[in-house]
Amino acid sequence: MWLGLWLGVFGLAVGVVVGLNIPVMLPQAYAKFLSIAALAALDSVFGGIRAAMEDNFDNAIFISGLFSNALLAAGLAYAGDRLGIDLYLAAVVAFGVRLFQNLAIIRRYLLKKSKKGNSH
Amino acid sequence: MNKPIYFSIIAVSLIIGLLLSFQFRSSGGNAGGIATERYQELTIEKLKVETDITQLEEEISDLTVKIEAARRGRTEAAGAIERELDKIKLYAGLIPVTGPGVDIVMKNIEASQFGAGFYSVRDEDLLKVINDLRGAGAEAISINDQRILATSEVRQAGNHINVNLVRLSPPYNIKAIGNPGRLKSSLEIKGGLVEFLAANGVTVEVQQSEQVPVPAYSGIPRFDYAKHVQRG
Repeated sequence: MWLGLWLGVFGLAVGVVVGLNIPVMLPQAYAKFLSIAALAALDSVFGGIRAAMEDNFDNAIFISGLFSNALLAAGLAYAGDRLGIDLYLAAVVAFGVRLFQNLAIIRRYLLKKSKKGNSH
Repeated sequence: MNKPIYFSIIAVSLIIGLLLSFQFRSSGGNAGGIATERYQELTIEKLKVETDITQLEEEISDLTVKIEAARRGRTEAAGAIERELDKIKLYAGLIPVTGPGVDIVMKNIEASQFGAGFYSVRDEDLLKVINDLRGAGAEAISINDQRILATSEVRQAGNHINVNLVRLSPPYNIKAIGNPGRLKSSLEIKGGLVEFLAANGVTVEVQQSEQVPVPAYSGIPRFDYAKHVQRG
């Protein structure tokens, strides 16, 4: 469990460093889609953590969900942009709600665990 | 937990890190990034201002060229007017001139032989001389340093002759600028003025010269009655 956490932090740090130093600059117009994709990815990560806590974590579901969520969110934002509807708001709301839900469940698990730990 | 899970955790966190940092960079990174719409607006405005600037710069260079041309035109015009003025002054006899021509001296007959004033040079003799010189193409004439203008009079006044309201007395020294040979021969032609005057005892010496100085009119030309008529 702790190894997985450290690996995650390590991967995040490497990704941030690479992203900040890469010479490629994303055009301003795509920033909106990228932000939605990032939100979807974050949601998937929290979903994965929650699944791990509930002991029904499935690697294939996790990976496929991450990519499909990110791509769908970005695609939705793009389609909305083309149609003149702010469809990305739907993605923001949906993923935002799920993010908070996942966060709440994780919090409860952690609290339960710490209570158990204290009682030991 | 097995290896594929660690691998996927690393991969996912890596992707999220990349996404976040990209997002951070593309939204400016610095505080107070501007909205996309505002950015586009400002870009359009900037383009407009830039085209305005280039247009104005073109206008500047155009106007500079025009100013330069106008300035050159003005100095040219001033030069042309000055040259015209010089030419007109030359025509009017208001500036001294010099050139090839003849120098004529007319002396009255000696008084001792036949008594004083047997024959003296009269105004009409001088007028005839002037007329002959003009006929031969004289460009500038003076009598005893009085320039003959278009308005000059040659008039007997007792024993003297008035030219330009100045009293002249013999000997009369006439200077004329023109073709020296033609001027001289027009006076010394057979049956001409020199012969006529010599027969009356007046000595006339006509001398050709390469440099005959003719002075300018010393008075001020006056036009009290004549007013110019607007042309066109």
